[in-house]
Amino acid sequence: MGITTIFLQLAKGMGTTVGIFVLTLLFSLPLGLVLSFGRMSKRGLVKGLSKFYISVMRGTPLMLQLIVVYFSPYYVFGIRISSGYRFTAVILAFVLNYAAYFAEIYRSGIESMPMGQYEAAKVLGYGKGQTFFKIILPQVIKRILPPVTNETITLVKDTSLAFVLAEAEMFTIAKQIAAKETSVMPLMAAGVFYYLFNLVVAFGMEYIEKRMNYYR
Amino acid sequence: MRKCFDNVEVLKDISLSVKEGEVVSIIGPSGSGKSTLLRCATMLEKMDGGELKYLGEAAAWEEDGRCIYAGKQKKKEIRKHFGLVFQNFNLFPHYSVMKNITDAPISVDKVPKKEAEERAMKLLCQLGLEDKKDAYPYQLSGGQQQRVSIARALALQPKILFFDEPTSALDPELTGEVLKVIRELAREHMTMIIVTHEMQFAKELSDRIIFMEQGVIRQEGTPEEIFANPNERVKEFIGKFTA
Repeated sequence: MGITTIFLQLAKGMGTTVGIFVLTLLFSLPLGLVLSFGRMSKRGLVKGLSKFYISVMRGTPLMLQLIVVYFSPYYVFGIRISSGYRFTAVILAFVLNYAAYFAEIYRSGIESMPMGQYEAAKVLGYGKGQTFFKIILPQVIKRILPPVTNETITLVKDTSLAFVLAEAEMFTIAKQIAAKETSVMPLMAAGVFYYLFNLVVAFGMEYIEKRMNYYR
Repeated sequence: MRKCFDNVEVLKDISLSVKEGEVVSIIGPSGSGKSTLLRCATMLEKMDGGELKYLGEAAAWEEDGRCIYAGKQKKKEIRKHFGLVFQNFNLFPHYSVMKNITDAPISVDKVPKKEAEERAMKLLCQLGLEDKKDAYPYQLSGGQQQRVSIARALALQPKILFFDEPTSALDPELTGEVLKVIRELAREHMTMIIVTHEMQFAKELSDRIIFMEQGVIRQEGTPEEIFANPNERVKEFIGKFTA
């Protein structure tokens, strides 16, 4: 199999990889924010549960979480798994996992905001929601951009873990070709794809960072 | 008002009323409770006991030995009566000078954008900052930032303005430009309560000076009374500044 064919085949898997990446970010970024509120809650139970959830999600392998999410409908609830569930399970597991990491990033950003910003907003008459969304969150986003970039780049590479559920993303396909052709070339080619993908991601994040540099 | 932090009494039954158009300065050593008084008056801090009233409307009162605050809506209305200028400005760094001044009127008081901007422009001209309307806070000197924060407070057209050591974060040169603005406000008979360490300034501008120490008012009177006839402790304190 020629290198061009390999690249063409991988490019097909790339679609799924990008899909996992985009959908995971789309859902885990807002979910992470909600979870960070739970983590910072004054209610003991909410805070405790959030802490426990984050601890489990960060403390166990994502690969295992993928397997648990995929198989638990059958083993726990006795529901027969349809093949259409595979992609949903991948997204679900990634979202649940990444939300935990993002929650802690949000928390670090929110807790680093000086009290004076809240106090100024309060005296000026802003409500709690207005204060958070107009005054606090925009500044938090600027502060947490570097760690979010880190996490996003890790996510690009983590999408390859979907191979444990045999989801036809790029790495799964690379492995299949590699086995068939008994060659490491397809895996190396996949590496090039991931690197290029991350170049684009890093470029995009740098652009956003620059856009936010209009103030200090 | 009474206020404790971890069983340390910071405000010990302090009473203070301010008339319309009056300028009151609060002086005293660090830890005397001056800032806490201001923070309680502006509802940034909850009192443990006492009463708080603006224009006859009660924001807090005492019931069975406990301090009860008015409902959310009532507190919101009462907040419209006053403005507060912080020691370290607390401008919103992600907003331009113009937006810092207009955002609260627009999104809190529902003032039309055009009107809010006209109001802001007038204030900026008054404070000598008309060329800074598109600047961001980090591009301004401390004195300019503090003047913007005064404009931000004034844009909501408060009846009374509180200053919490407005020049303590500034060097002497910048202090001057901020004091000048406050002086002009006094001339326009803005009601003000100013916590300050600027003795000379307090003396020349106040209708009344309050000397606080250890959570109580030690002496209170017109500048003439305080400076011409200070009690022992006040004399010692003022002496340190004028020596």
